Amino acid sequence: MEPIIQLKNLDKHYGEKQVLKGINLDIFPGQVIGYIGPNGAGKSTTVKILCGLISDYEGTVIVDGIDLKTDPLAVKRKVGYVPELAELYDVLTPAEFLGFMAELYGMPKEIADERMQKMLAAFGLETNMHQRMDTFSKGMRQKVLIISGLLHNPDIIILDEPLSGLDANSVIIVKDLISKLAKDGKTIFYCSHMMDVVEKVSDRIVLINDGTVIADGSFEELQNQQGNQSLEKIFAHMTAKGSLNDAADQLMRAFEN
Amino acid sequence: MNIINRFFFNIVMLPSSVYEGMGVDTTQLKSILKIKLAMDDRRASSFQQTRAQKNKKPVKLATLGTMFLTLMMGAFFLFSFFVGNDDVTKGTIYFSMYIFMLAATLISDFTSVLIDVRDNMIILPKPVSDRTFLLSRLLHIVVHISKLILPMTLPAMILIGINRGIGGVSSFSFLVFLATLFTIFLINALYIFILRVTTPERFKTIISYFQIFIAIAFYASYQLVPRLVNKAELENYHVGDNFLVWIAPSYWFANAWNLLNNADFSIGAIISLLLSIAVPITSIWVVIKYFAPNFNRKLSMISGSEAGAAPLPKNGKIINSTTSSYLTLVSKWFSRKGAERMAFLLTYKITSRSREFKMKVYPSMGYLVVYLVMIFFTNKKMTVADLSYGSAASKILFISLIYFSSFMLIMATGQIQYSDKFKAAWIYFTTPIKEPGMLLSGAIRAMIVKFYLPLISAITILSLVFMGPAIIPNLVLGCANQLFITAMVGYISVRELPFSHAQDQVKINFIRGLFTFLIPATVAGLHYLIYSFMPVVIILAVLASIAYWMVMDSIRKKNWSNLITTYED
Repeated sequence: MEPIIQLKNLDKHYGEKQVLKGINLDIFPGQVIGYIGPNGAGKSTTVKILCGLISDYEGTVIVDGIDLKTDPLAVKRKVGYVPELAELYDVLTPAEFLGFMAELYGMPKEIADERMQKMLAAFGLETNMHQRMDTFSKGMRQKVLIISGLLHNPDIIILDEPLSGLDANSVIIVKDLISKLAKDGKTIFYCSHMMDVVEKVSDRIVLINDGTVIADGSFEELQNQQGNQSLEKIFAHMTAKGSLNDAADQLMRAFEN
Repeated sequence: MNIINRFFFNIVMLPSSVYEGMGVDTTQLKSILKIKLAMDDRRASSFQQTRAQKNKKPVKLATLGTMFLTLMMGAFFLFSFFVGNDDVTKGTIYFSMYIFMLAATLISDFTSVLIDVRDNMIILPKPVSDRTFLLSRLLHIVVHISKLILPMTLPAMILIGINRGIGGVSSFSFLVFLATLFTIFLINALYIFILRVTTPERFKTIISYFQIFIAIAFYASYQLVPRLVNKAELENYHVGDNFLVWIAPSYWFANAWNLLNNADFSIGAIISLLLSIAVPITSIWVVIKYFAPNFNRKLSMISGSEAGAAPLPKNGKIINSTTSSYLTLVSKWFSRKGAERMAFLLTYKITSRSREFKMKVYPSMGYLVVYLVMIFFTNKKMTVADLSYGSAASKILFISLIYFSSFMLIMATGQIQYSDKFKAAWIYFTTPIKEPGMLLSGAIRAMIVKFYLPLISAITILSLVFMGPAIIPNLVLGCANQLFITAMVGYISVRELPFSHAQDQVKINFIRGLFTFLIPATVAGLHYLIYSFMPVVIILAVLASIAYWMVMDSIRKKNWSNLITTYED
């Protein structure tokens, strides 16, 4: 099978600082990639390159046979992006915002309207459809963002901490949605700090640290390599500089005065 | 979309086929532009921003409101046509005001409206070509500026139309266009300069200082200009008399207008015309060619969304040790250990670092300075000898100085309960604080030390130098009165914990207005009457000091039931 996303020797510098140091990845259709790493490891940078926010990278990114550098628009059409921070134009209503998104993707209005209505209803936002989002809670904004990433039915979905601000029931919906989308043949690139969620939703985990991939495989494979423990433990073992147990001990010892 | 936005939208979309020929996706262009204009309509303009920040009502039809305000401003500019007896003078004043006001408006609009950093996250990942995006931004800027300059110049256009006919209007429009280009260049140059010398993180702070400066300058010109020049001088004023006027671009525009309008083909007029055309066009070209590429990238970092791109700020994070040792010292002198000192330090530090607080309080300091300058200008004949103790002039000056000195303090004290970060007030509610009054008195003390101590020290030194020790009783009385009034403001209006509430405009304006102007003015009047009766002054000084001490003490003793202590979530 042809990989749908290929990263080859992906490098990115910010001035002197090299954030990505030769990332190589082949991602296949229908995979749910859990992309994890400590803060500053280069997760967000990879995501931003993939969805076209950063264009001055070195190396090659090929999405569905198209080079991101030569035809970024064709790639962007295939990708749906749910950004991490609740970045949206909050003086607009969900209907206006999503309608705008649909127009940018060149969707026919009738299809877009019907689809967004159904999606908002599924998230329980149908009554808020024509309210300005500046009054929305973080969770409600996040739902609108998730819809905006899925509306044009993209083949590749990039989710950056999609569960932030969502209540427990919505978390269940989104987790369920992720596995259903994957069954449907969509490729999902899932970035998160929540190890327990990543462990459950992804069928392949990519761990990066300091700009390089340090582990790549299914959760079972990682367990085979690193010992039979939770993803949280494996993550800590591979990325923490000292022992985390010691840190907790030090914290406890601080009371001893 | 309201009628005005639709009008401009249709105008800028007229050359659709040209755009398509350039490889722009006009469907996307239309939807971006439509959404941008819709958002403009729901955002408080830069005129309304300072006032309507926490207004619960959603902003609607902001475009119409802004345009009306701009129209009023344009009408105000008309006064320049009544100054001097030649067109060059009138035009120079008009163009100076025009460039200044347009620049003042655009400085804030460029970041908040025209270059919305959220675009990066929202539009960039969508299949929108760079050309389409760039053109949408450009057209948005064109529409936005047109919405400003049309109402701003309309009154002048009408006046010129009546006096000079269509020829006058068209030559004037041409120069207004050039002056607008020049102003856009000015703003760009300013932005580029600020971005060069500082980090993007501090950019917004600097822009807000500019806004404060502009507010003060506007107030100053409003107060000072009519006083400095009398009517007869105004009518015979001739701007060309001074060679230095060539430095001001508004003079070139005015001269060029004079050439086109009155067929004045002097060397100076021709040079002016050339300058008015060449300078805006070259400067815009320089900006596009040399600065713009770097500029957009840097500007996109202002949001902090690309935190990885910016190196850690070299200066900001380490707190200067000399100020903090000064702070430790004054906090020991002026506050009691415990909750009071904590509130003192917290208030002192937050008010030094919060942009929001500075925006509210610092302009008032500027107004004060302007006011003082004004007093000196209106009393031009005053000499040092007049300042000696006992003279009528020194009496008025002393009283106004000492009672004005608390203006800032009272403004600041009225503000301490408000903050954008009011949710952080959970710290007061989750910690076992027995006497919340300590928090208030600590905060008020911090304000006194910060906004009054330096001023009153300066006043003390100045009055001792000029008036001698005889002034001391009056000084003490004035100072005690000021502190007493401040404490009363604290006692009555500060019924919420420091920084614990969102700004509620209507309520505070009345109380604050009363305390900042009416009561100090009344007390100042009374003080003026008894100024020379030394025993009365001494007795009142003692009484006022005791009153101050008692009010501060009862603030300290306020318990939870005396305060409005709801945690606003």
